[in-house]
Amino acid sequence: MYQAIQTEQQLLDALANSNRQATELIYRQHSKIVIAWIVQNGGDAVDAEDIFQEAMVILFEKSQSASFRLSCKIGTYLFAVSKHLWYKKWKRGQRTVLGDDFTQEKAYEDDIVGHEERELHFEQLDQALDKIGEPCRTLLRAFYMQNKSMQDIAAQFGYTNADNAKTQKYKCLNRLRKLFYEA
Amino acid sequence: MNIWETAEKYHTGNLNSAEQEALHKRIASDPAFAAEFQEHIHLLQSLENRAKHKQFRTILTDIRKGQSGKQSTIRTIPLTTHYWRTAAVAASIAIITTLSTFWMIKHSDKQRVSQYRMLRKEMESIRNSQNALISTVNDSKVSAPVVSASFSGSGIALANNGYFVTNYHVVEGADSVYMQSRSGSFYKANLIAFDKRNDVAILKVEDKKFNFSKTDLPYSFAPGKNKIGTGVFTLSFPDNEVIYNEGYISTKNGYEGDSLQYLLNIPSNPGYSGAPVVTAAGSIIGIVSANNNENTLSTYAISSAAIYELTKTLPIQIKLPKTTQLKKLSREQQIEKIEPFTCSVKVYKKS
Repeated sequence: MYQAIQTEQQLLDALANSNRQATELIYRQHSKIVIAWIVQNGGDAVDAEDIFQEAMVILFEKSQSASFRLSCKIGTYLFAVSKHLWYKKWKRGQRTVLGDDFTQEKAYEDDIVGHEERELHFEQLDQALDKIGEPCRTLLRAFYMQNKSMQDIAAQFGYTNADNAKTQKYKCLNRLRKLFYEA
Repeated sequence: MNIWETAEKYHTGNLNSAEQEALHKRIASDPAFAAEFQEHIHLLQSLENRAKHKQFRTILTDIRKGQSGKQSTIRTIPLTTHYWRTAAVAASIAIITTLSTFWMIKHSDKQRVSQYRMLRKEMESIRNSQNALISTVNDSKVSAPVVSASFSGSGIALANNGYFVTNYHVVEGADSVYMQSRSGSFYKANLIAFDKRNDVAILKVEDKKFNFSKTDLPYSFAPGKNKIGTGVFTLSFPDNEVIYNEGYISTKNGYEGDSLQYLLNIPSNPGYSGAPVVTAAGSIIGIVSANNNENTLSTYAISSAAIYELTKTLPIQIKLPKTTQLKKLSREQQIEKIEPFTCSVKVYKKS
């Protein structure tokens, strides 16, 4: 029997795998309404798009867990999270006293706090990767961020073979571990 | 094996059972090691997640760039900066066409062999995409393969204002899609909806003023399935020319008995994917999707029922025409009427 592929859960599964099409579909379907709302509530277009993008990242994070099931529609979730993020941004700026309806936008607090913690964690990792020095910085980035194979890395760094490159990688990981956990 | 090697293997699930057992024993008996090992795993996980996030943010930034480009009202952007991609595609097509024409004249026999291979490749990619779907369901952590090539397929209009249909495998993984109209112009197109299982994708030309023709769609889309033996023709548009072929429906169900497909007896070649399959009355019964890699006359087509289903999911409803204006016309006249609504789909992927 016919089964449309585009149920929201299937879109989310595709999103979890960083599928570009699914991401773009979700982006196109929901960004306009969120951006319009933020602009209406005192943001500029750049703020608004930043916020929506952050909400997309939070949805992506949620979709990473295998057991994840969204209890509402994707659009509803993105809108609620965006509102909440915008509310937080206002509070941080303390540009004006907020109205009542604004303070109620506290939906999905856990998701947002989790996201902030994760971003902080990533920032620390990035800092550790920055401090580690060469050749470790380039080597670890090539393997973990650019998905290069050990053979390619061996060739790039002039190691005689992949095993030598691997040994070097483990040394670098040890240094990274020290920097990351003992900072 | 040093601790990193073990941690890496553990993290990717590549430890064999003996190694696993040894590890568990050591973790149970040596709390200091357990804590240390935990830290190693945590670091590897963090690195992997960091990479995933970076990739996702790159996609978002990319989409955002495309969106803000669309929002700007000024369209007089210098050719060199904005249309270089279109121009590059057009130029490379011109070069390829020129070269392949010479080549075709010189090596007509060899070409048959190479086409055969290309077909095979296409079949494989369909199979892969089916496998990929299965693995997405089973394991949400499989990352999509990165393909670095440009592809082309055919398409047919669903509505005069720029909606058209092609196969999902044509546009899968695309960074950008351009539609080449019958007049030879290129238009940027966006994916509106897709159905991976049935291999159908609906796209729309970004330019809001675009129309395929001054008149309405002359053909209809068959609401149900047609009978075995129905004579059909296809109009494919792989490169710069519309190509006509004729044949008949040879079985009512398609690949592995799929009831939303047909098996046709009609020639097909790479780039025919998405081409309309039309009856003598001018009703579209489906689109060409694949063929048998050992027999280019055995062509699979996705039935129009799958297209109807997908149009139902669109945010803005489009009505597919159910009556045809082509019934009493000669074949030449029919082709002439349908031609403006066919298009070539150029898919561009980053390396």
